[in-house]
Amino acid sequence: MTNKLDAVLAAAHGHIQLMTHVVAGYPDLDTGLRLVRAMAACGVRIIEIQIPFTDPLADGPTIMAANQAALDAGMTPEDALAWAGAVAAALPEVAVLVMTYANVPYAMGMEEFLRRCAARNIQGVIIPDLPVDEPEGDYAAMARRLGLHPVMVISPDTPEKRLELLLPQASGLLYTTLKVGITGASSDLCPEALAYLQSLGRRTHLPIAAGFGISQPRHVAALAGRAQVAVVGSHVLSLLNHGGIPAVEAFLRACMA
Amino acid sequence: MILPRHFGPFGGRYVPEMLIPALDQLEAAFVQAHSDPAFHAEFQRLLTCYCGRPTPLYPAENLTRHLGGCQVFLKLESLNHTGAHKITNALGQALLARRMGKTRLIAETGAGQHGLATATVAARCGMQCTVFMGEVDVARQYPNVFAMRLLGADVVPVADGTRTLKDAVNAALKDWIQHLDSTHYVLGSALGPHPYPTVVREFQSVIGREVAAQLETQTGRRPGHLVACVGGGSNSMGLFAPFLGDPSVRLYGAEAGGRGPNPGDHAARLQGQPKAGIVQGYKSYFLQDDHGQVQGTHSISAGLDYAGIGPELAWLFDQGRVAFTPIPDAEALAAYQLLARLEGIIPALESSHAVALAMRLAPSLPPEDIMVVNISGRGDKDLFITARALDAERWISFLQSEVERDQ
Repeated sequence: MTNKLDAVLAAAHGHIQLMTHVVAGYPDLDTGLRLVRAMAACGVRIIEIQIPFTDPLADGPTIMAANQAALDAGMTPEDALAWAGAVAAALPEVAVLVMTYANVPYAMGMEEFLRRCAARNIQGVIIPDLPVDEPEGDYAAMARRLGLHPVMVISPDTPEKRLELLLPQASGLLYTTLKVGITGASSDLCPEALAYLQSLGRRTHLPIAAGFGISQPRHVAALAGRAQVAVVGSHVLSLLNHGGIPAVEAFLRACMA
Repeated sequence: MILPRHFGPFGGRYVPEMLIPALDQLEAAFVQAHSDPAFHAEFQRLLTCYCGRPTPLYPAENLTRHLGGCQVFLKLESLNHTGAHKITNALGQALLARRMGKTRLIAETGAGQHGLATATVAARCGMQCTVFMGEVDVARQYPNVFAMRLLGADVVPVADGTRTLKDAVNAALKDWIQHLDSTHYVLGSALGPHPYPTVVREFQSVIGREVAAQLETQTGRRPGHLVACVGGGSNSMGLFAPFLGDPSVRLYGAEAGGRGPNPGDHAARLQGQPKAGIVQGYKSYFLQDDHGQVQGTHSISAGLDYAGIGPELAWLFDQGRVAFTPIPDAEALAAYQLLARLEGIIPALESSHAVALAMRLAPSLPPEDIMVVNISGRGDKDLFITARALDAERWISFLQSEVERDQ
């Protein structure tokens, strides 16, 4: 069976796709559902749903606060997976990825976690603090057997030797952060980041998703031709916090224009 | 020298790929420094003439008499510059940072002692310094916050999560991710991603080596029992490390029993059915719920209320090599008072947990046995907690008069 993520990327015909990030249970499940519906209506075809965790190591203050708020409201990993499944069912045109930190699948049992993801019609998993060379980091084969893409996250500083270790494990997407010097609404993607993407593209046949600091439609435009997917995470959450769903829609439409 | 990445099933480096090169760089720098006599010479020189090492090993005759059991010695790490063992590791890491060409040190701190030590060595080495500290700890450890700022450090109160040490660690790791080129993260305890647990243990193991040499000089014997408090594990691993291979030396760790056994009321990670997890870059035992969410903690001591424990200590626990006991807040406070009255030594609240555990153990041990208790820090930093707990009326009256004096 074809993984929906592959189908979405194949159907893009070279146009850059947006991948948005939402935190399950933030600000609440109903608003979250309206938010992802609005995202899909704007043309977003890949949505990364975060299972909230108390200590989200790789997230900035905006996503961190959303994690804590969702946990304070009682969100559990089981509830988050059920909600991700509801999103997948409500938006058949969208590929849903689940992102969380290692302790969540570790507490649930990795196999059980992956089985639940697969049962919820999720397309892939992202666990940024679980390197492939740790004992629990060998989940990629198991994920693939269950029809899930293990999406690996790298950075421009990832050494060649580690890439050789990582690339055979990755599938679906190769998710890379962009070093942009400083993050912020007015900053542009630096030429080094764009050159890096091009060299990475020569290293892998996988579609590349690039994120970290994307906060302007022109950032997305700059990535076109160098990455297949632009990841907009905390900026969308920040727009939601300050202007509600209409603010998110306006931004996403501008990015897709 | 090859550094162990795992201790049994624990340890590792569970971090985003972005941090892996920095950890590799630290490991390489440490291994290189370890075999460099010039590094050792500089480290030793500063330990002696700047930090005040070796710290005394004091035969606590009054306490021994009072407890009526084995002979009790106190290792007075409290007499280090800045008042705790933390300066040793901070100095070692600052020298490593300089070798790596870093110009800025960052640190997390709970009780403030590690932050103070890092701010101190940063000043000494001419480096910039930022210290992350939970808002709760900033409020209860003001003397250390004031001192860190005086030393030129930027103290950042962390308002996330439980607003204590765990959240300060998250904030420090995130700052490090953003400033890897210029910055070294001086991790303060024997935990975190590899190679930190080993780096910190190695720098702190001077404590145990000094104990062995001093006891040999004073008594011609080896210790029978070593007692230390255990937050993350730097003072305990430092004391225990040189004795791990000698099964005749029994090792005891005092955890924070807090207000009681309910979740959120203590930081006793190794009681009941400890739960392994992967948090803040390493695998170990963590206080967590059934879903893997890290639980809040409490201790009267800001230095012990951490939800995790160093991975080597977790492994030593599994092997039965170290016995851990939770000490309630009230018992630690009683030990704090007792040591002040009997020996003229005011220990840190962290160390008071170790004293309390020694008070439990010593009376049943034979007089010929020797016990060494690590007084990891001195208690003046805890004045705002202990004075309120023990002498509230006069303390509040003093604070009020101080405020009114300037109005």
